[in-house]
Formats: sequence, structure tokens, C-alpha cells
Amino acid sequence: MIDLTKTNTGLWREITDNCGDIRKCFNCNTCVAGCPAAEGDPPLFIRNLVRKVLLGLEDELLEDETPWLCVTCSACEEMCPMGVHPFEVCLDIRRWQSKNDETYIPAATAEIFETGHTQAVGQVQEKRKAVGLEAVPPTIIKFPELLKIFQEMLRNTDIVRENDYMFRS
Amino acid sequence: MKYGLFLGCNVPAVRPDVERAIRLTMPVLGADLVDLEGSACCPAFGSFPSADETASLAISAWNFCIAEEAEVDLVTECGSCYSSLRIARSKLLESEEKREQVNRLLEPTGKQFRGTVKVRHMLDVLFNDIGPEKIRESIKYPLENISAIVQYPCHTLFPSEIVGFDSLSGRPRMFQKLVEALGASVQTYSRELQCCGGAGGFVKGSFADASEFAFKKLRAIKKETDAEFIVASCITCLQHLDRMQDELNKKNNDNAYSLPVFDYNQILAVCMDFNPGEVASISTISRDEFIRNIRKK
Ligand code: SF4
Ligand code: SF4
Repeated sequence: MIDLTKTNTGLWREITDNCGDIRKCFNCNTCVAGCPAAEGDPPLFIRNLVRKVLLGLEDELLEDETPWLCVTCSACEEMCPMGVHPFEVCLDIRRWQSKNDETYIPAATAEIFETGHTQAVGQVQEKRKAVGLEAVPPTIIKFPELLKIFQEMLRNTDIVRENDYMFRS
Repeated sequence: MKYGLFLGCNVPAVRPDVERAIRLTMPVLGADLVDLEGSACCPAFGSFPSADETASLAISAWNFCIAEEAEVDLVTECGSCYSSLRIARSKLLESEEKREQVNRLLEPTGKQFRGTVKVRHMLDVLFNDIGPEKIRESIKYPLENISAIVQYPCHTLFPSEIVGFDSLSGRPRMFQKLVEALGASVQTYSRELQCCGGAGGFVKGSFADASEFAFKKLRAIKKETDAEFIVASCITCLQHLDRMQDELNKKNNDNAYSLPVFDYNQILAVCMDFNPGEVASISTISRDEFIRNIRKK
């Protein structure tokens, strides 16, 4: 059983940043009804996540991986009648999880740090030439000196400073 | 008309034939594309936006600065890039605090975010700046007597306040009109506005359920329409609806789902008589026969 006298009642202030006032959520289920990831296993139910945040259930929330199922379609964002911004709730929770448990930090952040991209944009030269394109696209992958400046910029961010072993140039 | 072509990661790496189609078709319609040299990932929602907001906004701002220096609005085909950049821009414009944090990070790079350029989706430019009439006049092979369904990119619909450009995000019709301009008829069906389900962590985190979600859409298309092909305008929709037909066939152990899937600029390029080997050469479900039939007419 959960002892509600021992939960972190200030948790919502810690987590919410970009979303609306989640105290207005009245569990109407609109954010679940139109959500593709609500069909997942386990399902993503934003309204349940909102409850966990409001009740201050830190441990349960830190273990809950469902926010990462979100497909980012923003249907919930459009439909929530209370301006809670459920999609932003989802991202706020992911950020809080990443901050409190580094294993949540997506590998894609390190890829972007290393190459500027989430795909091997510089390593598909034959494929690109075959369709009549420049072997390397004119993005940051083509300009190593810019990539260096980009990495220097990111070195000053909290995530890279606090987890520098993850980010290699 | 001049635009900065924002490539992102998936288009140039996974489906460069889409990039080729965009680069060939847009200038024909009077839209000149400028390269955004040195641009990076948007960044994708599943990367920095899920870990560090300020770092994420700094990367978006890096991209905006490149477009600001070139004095062009950004245009992108990828739904995720579009939405990520739009949301980042509105956050930067709304909050002086975030703007200052980001500009502090940018300072040593010699860049500064000013907020002078906009982010546009390909469909927005095609419909609102160019228009169906001009597109109709530009093609050599019209898609007469061919029916299509369109996959609206969810990231261009919601949240309408931030990303919307269709008159009604809840009942969009622009994409349909753009496909009709190519001569095809467009059919609607019950799950038309349901997103493809291919973005984010759903497919990776819950593959069987994510597949089933896409199968429902594919079954509805088959049951409710006699569409002969699918048109998308988002790299994720394009790849996912293509791949999921293959998955469904594997599951059923047959070949019942074989609708060719095109990005809009790809089918436009084929209709304009560009080389299909360059503009529509990468897919799981073969598009060759469909393309041959168009070019026979
Ligand atoms: S739609 Fe909004 S108010 Fe309704 S349950 Fe979801 S977050 Fe709460
Ligand atoms: S944005 Fe995420 S949480 Fe909201 S409806 Fe789409 S998948 Fe569900």
C-alpha cells in the first residue's frame, strides 16, 4: 500500500515546466482516448501519469517507462479540455527522469553531439550518389569545423556537463 | 520565392530519393531552395527535448540562426522536424528567459537567435504559396482514373495553435486538394486522420501493439476504399506505411497489402517526368509497376 503521508507533495512543482496547470486535470480520459500509445503494453495513460505527479509518487514515477512510448502526435495536446498540455507533461516527465536516472538519457543525444545527426548522414554516400545527389549533404556533417563549434556550445549545457562521459567528439 | 531547405536526418540518410524529388520539383514551381549549410538535427523529440530543454532549444536556435543569416524561412518535409522546430520557436519567442539562456550558449559560436525567420512545412508551401493550379499546369503525366488516400502528417495538425496552417486542423483538406491537382481522386475513410504511429518510441518500445495500430489503418483503407496508392508528406509516415504493409503480409503469409507509398514531391516528380530511378527508387513495397502505368499514358 502507498502511504500518502510520505510522498513528495511538491513533486509537481519540480517536474512541470512547459505544460499547463496539471492540478486542473479532472481525469476525463480525453488524452487517452485518442492516443496511439494508449494501445501499447503497458499502455501510456497520461491521466495516470498526471495523478502520479500530483500525488508525489516519486519512486513509481521514476520506474514508469510509459512516457517513452509517446509517438509525439500531439492529439492529446489539441484535445485536452483543461489546457494541461499532456504531451508537454510527457516531455517534462522524461526530462525529470533523465535528470534523476542517467540511464534514461536517450542515446540519440550522444549521437547528435558526435555527428550533429541521429542518422548516419555522412555514411550513405553511394546511396545518395545513386539518386543524383551530392555524396554528403550540406549539413553539419560536411563541415567539421562547424561541428566542433556545435560541440563546444553543447559542452556548456547541463546535460553534457553532468554526464560528460557519455558525450564524445 | 526562396526557402531554406531543412533536411534533418532521416530524409538525407534513409530516403535521399525524397530529397532529390524535392530539389527537382520545387524550382519548377518557382520555389528556389537554398541550402542551410551546417544545419543539424532539429532536434528530434526523443533526443534532447526528452533530456534537457535548454540544450534542445539551443540546437533548434543553431538551426534558426543559419536560416536567419541566409534570410530565408525554413521549409521541411519531415513532420517531426517541422513540429520540433515550430514548438522550439514559439517557446523562444514566448519566454525572454529561455531566449537569454539560449543566446548565452550561442554567444561563443558567433550566432544569435533573433526570431526573424519562420518554419514552414512542405504542404503549406505547396498549397498556400504555390497552389494547386500551378501544380496542375506543371505536370506531364496526370493520374487520371487513379484513386489515392492521403496520410495527413499529425505534426502539421496538432497542436493547431502552434503548427497549424490548414483552415481547420480537425478537418484538413489541403493535402487532398494537392493530390487532386495531379489528376487523382482522393478517397476518405474512417481512420484517415489517425496518425501513422511510426514516430517516437512506440514501435521500439511496444512493437506488436504499434504494428497492430498501423494494421488497423491499413485494414480500414482496404475495406473502405479502393485506393491504388498512398500519398504521404512526412518521412516517418512514408517509411512506416510502407514497412507496415510488409509486416502485415508477413503476418498473414500473403501479399494482400501492396499499395505503393509516395511522398508528395516524389509522385509530383514522377508526374513531371523526372527520372523515377532518382526520385522514387527506395521502398519496400514496389512502386515500379505503378510508375510504369502512369508513364504509359
Ligand atoms: S485530457 Fe487533460 S483533463 Fe482530461 S485526463 Fe487528460 S490531462 Fe486530464
Ligand atoms: S502526443 Fe503522445 S501522449 Fe499525446 S496522444 Fe500522441 S502519443 Fe499519446
